[in-house]
Amino acid sequence: MKESDIKSVLIIGIAGGLAKITAGLLLKSFPHAKIIGVDSRPINPVIRHDNIEYRQMRYTRGNFEKLFRDKEFDAVFHLGRMSHADTSPIGTMEQRLDLNLMGTRRILDLCLKFAIKKVVILSTYHVYGALSDNPVFINEDHPLRASIKYPELRDVVEMDQIATNWMWKNQKDIETIVLRPCTIVGPQIKNTMTRYLVTPYAPVCADFNPMFQFIHEYDMASILRDSLTKLSTGIYNAATDECISLKAAKEILNRPTTPIPSFVLSSTAKLISTSFWRFPRYLIDYLKFACIIDNGLLKSQLGQDAFRYKTREALLLSKLD
Amino acid sequence: MDKLLKSLNLPSLGPSDESFEEIFEQLRLKYPEGEDPWGLNLERARTTLQYIWPLYQNYFKVRVFGKENVQDEPYMVTSNHSGQIAIDGMLISTAFAVEIDPPRILRSMVERFFTALPWVGTIAAEGGAVLGDRQNCLNLLSRGQSVLVFPEGVRGVAKNTIDFYKLQRFTRGFFRMSLTTQTKVLPVAVIGAEEIFPWVYHPRKLAKVLGLPALPLSPLYLPLPSPVDIIIGKPYSMPDLSPEAHDKEIDYHIDQIRNIIRNLTNEGLKNRRPFFANKKEGEE
Repeated sequence: MKESDIKSVLIIGIAGGLAKITAGLLLKSFPHAKIIGVDSRPINPVIRHDNIEYRQMRYTRGNFEKLFRDKEFDAVFHLGRMSHADTSPIGTMEQRLDLNLMGTRRILDLCLKFAIKKVVILSTYHVYGALSDNPVFINEDHPLRASIKYPELRDVVEMDQIATNWMWKNQKDIETIVLRPCTIVGPQIKNTMTRYLVTPYAPVCADFNPMFQFIHEYDMASILRDSLTKLSTGIYNAATDECISLKAAKEILNRPTTPIPSFVLSSTAKLISTSFWRFPRYLIDYLKFACIIDNGLLKSQLGQDAFRYKTREALLLSKLD
Repeated sequence: MDKLLKSLNLPSLGPSDESFEEIFEQLRLKYPEGEDPWGLNLERARTTLQYIWPLYQNYFKVRVFGKENVQDEPYMVTSNHSGQIAIDGMLISTAFAVEIDPPRILRSMVERFFTALPWVGTIAAEGGAVLGDRQNCLNLLSRGQSVLVFPEGVRGVAKNTIDFYKLQRFTRGFFRMSLTTQTKVLPVAVIGAEEIFPWVYHPRKLAKVLGLPALPLSPLYLPLPSPVDIIIGKPYSMPDLSPEAHDKEIDYHIDQIRNIIRNLTNEGLKNRRPFFANKKEGEE
């Protein structure tokens, strides 16, 4: 997609920290583009600019159709995947399935119907699953095994699969990018993992110490921006080169930990997640086994200097919050 | 630990703290973050090594021959497998970290179940062990790491007493990976590890029924202090062959490497130190 083609951009999920940073970068890089940010959650519009418009709306087909008809978008960012921890424990699966699967499908169909030139979908590295037999540096062709062990991750995996199947099916008509980032950290990011990382005395497995990759929110937002002009249709892992063990990450963040044997942690996770502290059960496995992804494909298109911050720097910067 | 060993009045504990510091100083240049994506943790590796070293030197009395064959380059270190619980892997890794210059962390390829074990899996990973996966091995070799493989697999480590020192069939994967990454194969023979557990019988059918990789039956489950020799051969000259060559072409080289290891083993058996459980010469 040429820079001059980018005149109108839709960002779905603008209430999220990453979406806001991306919007800021887009405004700077494409000063003539109009941006519409939508979300079903209340939006705190931190960026005020003539070229950005915020809309809080229900994610219904009708609302989206009206939006697509009125605004004639050139590019769409789908950053509105519903996280597992932000929702009420009651009815979460139903809500998530509706938004993540049906919602994604609806949005993609509308993109095709309204001749959008480029769609960027934010998935996650969680789709690969944290399994003891994961190789190190999983590439984009690796099977998505997350839902094998944890059915509650079904929507995450299926959303990714819907997006990628749709992408290949319609590649002649529309350019689509599916990004699978590692854990994103930064002052604006409030996901389950960042909350876990900054929680003092949060339990860690005494008997495991998995490796992690952390990407800074600015780097991730830059990749999202660059995906408009520099990435061609395909799936891309987004992660830094460097890895760090969970315990070392906690040390960098200066957060004391509570080491607990993994079997105790697993058996109490259910209790913990339904009472005073919500911690998705599947994430226990991410505290035991590593899921290290390969960034080779992304770097081959964005260049070797695609990342401004290394894993350790990203963590140190998120400490500034 | 040091006090306990001193009170036992054992012979020298080998490298002093200064020597270990020197070794790890060199390793820190290779792993500046102190960790790597496979879970290596230099500080933990050092602690583990310092615990293993007295056993290596005073219990198994390891001798290393052929150190001069190892240059400062990555290798696919390929060894015979013995000793029922892969003590040989631990001893080879210790030799390459402490006794060979420049020191290196050998990345041992371990069975899939191993990485899921609490504590043990993590300690092994922090010491350099990695999941025995094709992609893992290729990624390690392409990043200049030396990998330790046992192409006999479980068949090699889990042998009955009557089969001690009989090399089992080698798998082809390791050689194809060497060809892909143009990494030299370094043949190694370990002598003495078989007698660490000298009397073993494997009821293979029962193990299969129980879904276990091996079920060693022995009157003795305590590792005996069998003296171990590690013999390092000359690097195998890599042929100009595609990694996707036919099995027949690959098999020729596999047989060559197997023969080299067999010869190293036979040489080693002639020169080994007396131990009550040693087989007599010609008994094979």
